[in-house]
Amino acid sequence: MSTVLPAAGWSGAMLGLAASIVLALLGFRAQRNPGRVRHARLRVTAWCMFGGGVLSMSALVGALLTDNFAMSYVAEVHSRSTPLFFTITSAWASLGGSLVLWTLVLAGYTAVVARQVRSVEDRLGTGALGVMGVVGTFFFGLVTTVANPFTIMANPPADGPGANPLLRDHIMVAFHPPMLYLGFVGFTVPFAFAMSALLLRRGGVDWLRRSRRAGLVAWSFLTGGLVLGAWWSYEVLGWGGYWAWDPVENAALIPWLVATAFLHSAVVQVKRGMLQSWNFVLVLATFALTILGTFLTRSSVVVSVHSFSQSAVGPALLGFFVLVLGGGFTLFALRGERMASQSRPERLASREGVFLVNNLLLTVFAFVVLTGTVYPVLVEAVTGAQVSVGRPFFDRMAVPLSLGLLLAMGIGPFTPYRHATLGVMWTRLRVPLLTASSAAAAMVLAGVRDPGVVLVMFLVTGSVAATVRQLVVTVPQPRPAAVWRLLRSQRAYWGGQLAHLGVAVVALAIVSSSAFAQRATVTLDRGASAEFAGYSLTFEKTERHELSDRTSTDAHIVLRQGDRVVRVAEPRLNAFAGRPQAVGQPSVWPGAAQDVYVALGALEDDRVVLNLYRYPLMSWLWAGGALVAAGGFWAVSGRPRRKTEEAAAEVVARA
Amino acid sequence: MRRPSIRWGSGLLLVVLLAVAVIGVAVGGGRATDRAYELEQRLRCPVCKSVSIADSPSDTAQAMRQVVRDQIAAGRTDDQIIDHFRARYGGWVLLDPPMSGSTLALWIVSLVVVASGTTWFVLRWTRRPEPREPSTEDREMVAAALEEIRMRDPIEEQP
Repeated sequence: MSTVLPAAGWSGAMLGLAASIVLALLGFRAQRNPGRVRHARLRVTAWCMFGGGVLSMSALVGALLTDNFAMSYVAEVHSRSTPLFFTITSAWASLGGSLVLWTLVLAGYTAVVARQVRSVEDRLGTGALGVMGVVGTFFFGLVTTVANPFTIMANPPADGPGANPLLRDHIMVAFHPPMLYLGFVGFTVPFAFAMSALLLRRGGVDWLRRSRRAGLVAWSFLTGGLVLGAWWSYEVLGWGGYWAWDPVENAALIPWLVATAFLHSAVVQVKRGMLQSWNFVLVLATFALTILGTFLTRSSVVVSVHSFSQSAVGPALLGFFVLVLGGGFTLFALRGERMASQSRPERLASREGVFLVNNLLLTVFAFVVLTGTVYPVLVEAVTGAQVSVGRPFFDRMAVPLSLGLLLAMGIGPFTPYRHATLGVMWTRLRVPLLTASSAAAAMVLAGVRDPGVVLVMFLVTGSVAATVRQLVVTVPQPRPAAVWRLLRSQRAYWGGQLAHLGVAVVALAIVSSSAFAQRATVTLDRGASAEFAGYSLTFEKTERHELSDRTSTDAHIVLRQGDRVVRVAEPRLNAFAGRPQAVGQPSVWPGAAQDVYVALGALEDDRVVLNLYRYPLMSWLWAGGALVAAGGFWAVSGRPRRKTEEAAAEVVARA
Repeated sequence: MRRPSIRWGSGLLLVVLLAVAVIGVAVGGGRATDRAYELEQRLRCPVCKSVSIADSPSDTAQAMRQVVRDQIAAGRTDDQIIDHFRARYGGWVLLDPPMSGSTLALWIVSLVVVASGTTWFVLRWTRRPEPREPSTEDREMVAAALEEIRMRDPIEEQP
């Protein structure tokens, strides 16, 4: 079997590694002494890094497509019978390949940053490239050494076991991991600019603006990744939920929370020149937490402390985390003080005051989730005892914090800077408050007495109404064209409002799908029926389908409303060749008003055990999440104003 | 300028609406509680590990759910049922970490963080910075800042 592809993949990773080292050296040298480095060399180096990433990823995918079992990664995750689509996605189905994807994304971001560094005089930019080079050195280093997926097998197997069954079952495997990585890896860029600014001892608005733009891009991708991940687990795992407070999920949520705090406090620095040190802390913490999250999920330390040292990837990631944390915060401690903003907010009753409340809530939220996630690991490491921290703990902490955040979200964007008087707030919030309390009163009169639902309904309607009022008041003429022009001209603000609208939708979907959920477990003989959520369910038959890589057995459950057949749910069991355990796949019937979720508890020829769930407004969770991500992208979509100003300055200079 | 009657009117309406909502919730409040389901949510499934026995479709979880129901039917209290599972499976089975023993520190750390964050915040806002004469350094900084403002580009983001 050909060894060309493994060799090419490894060469690509080595090229990336070499380019990263060179980029780190050149970048820092250029920052220290701009005259010593030519601009073209920086750029070429960044492109070499990207080329290395592309080459190793292409070799990996090529080897998977050509069933090249001489490559260790292919032997580990591939099987000849896997369909084309899942063959491609198995490029990131396991550790080695996912690190290759990481390096590719990182190299891509580096190339983008390099494009924006227009001359070596941009010392903030060249320093950031140096930091990207250091991070690239670490990850390309992982791929070429301890996590090398390109090892050539001395005795290649004839066929492999294939990827984890859960990773070759659903189309989402093609979208969720790349999206998540675009978010996770993207936080390297704000980190790089922050470190570069600290090295330069140059605070101010430049590093912040560039960190904020990059942070927004990464944050929007991570938002999308989180929502797609929740959706995927809802569609596939079959326990009827979308979020289990599992360490893997928390690892992605924690940096998201801190990055959200940064996006908000960055506004305060831009608008009021405050919180610069705090912004450094948030940016450094976000990046460090992405590394910690990767360590937690990739070293399997959360399963058991003892599996930590099975591969060298875990210790390497932990070491890098300590390095980032130690290095970053040492530099900050040395330089941060002198860059601290001098001005202080004057009163709590002001926009910056609400921003601070938001930051306090978000960072406490992140800290509590982090503590709950690593606590079992620490206890096991210290005492050897095994403890669990699960949903009851996280819910108890998360619910009040989230309610506080919703409240701040409803008030903050409409509070004036510096000093908000009661009179101004009453003028701005009177209509929203009336709308919100009407909605809450209407819910109560309609018979909904759950305090959580009524409170969330109140907060959500209030915040949406305040946004609409703001739009109506700000727009010069009540015409669609004028509204569109306003939304386009103030993208940061209205992007934020779009994201808030998405958060409102998400909050409503979460609370209604949990408070009004219906659950039942029924056992049906063939031909028998049961009632659930206003439908009659009949177990008609089972069917067995032989596919190339699996045997799929589905149960036909006919849902009737009266005598009318409204849906045939087909939950199934997939038995993959070479895997002992069959994997269940639920059948979800999504709708605007409710989802009906049918999962198999047990399946025999003549008898089936079904777990049934009805979730009102569930689909709105995904729609709301998409709105949040869209808001982030909208905020960053305008051209940076700097360019137009530079262009204007050039025009002036030429004239 | 709006007439005061409208302001008073909308204030009154707001109070009435809020009163309806609050009283409605207070009178009919609370979800119908399913004791078995609440207990099941606090117990970790030994097979799938990531979810509680309430959510897990595994046979083991089903058997454990049956035990929960049997014990409720036998009239045992929540604590007795939880202790029964802890004795059989160890502290690992409790998804809701108790405020004692090896999970006490978790609660202490979390609550201390919440408390210290809030304290820091409150102190920061109640402490008024005493006004002082600007030093030469301050004046230089102001001059530099003014210079920077003249040079810098306004960032996007508005009202």
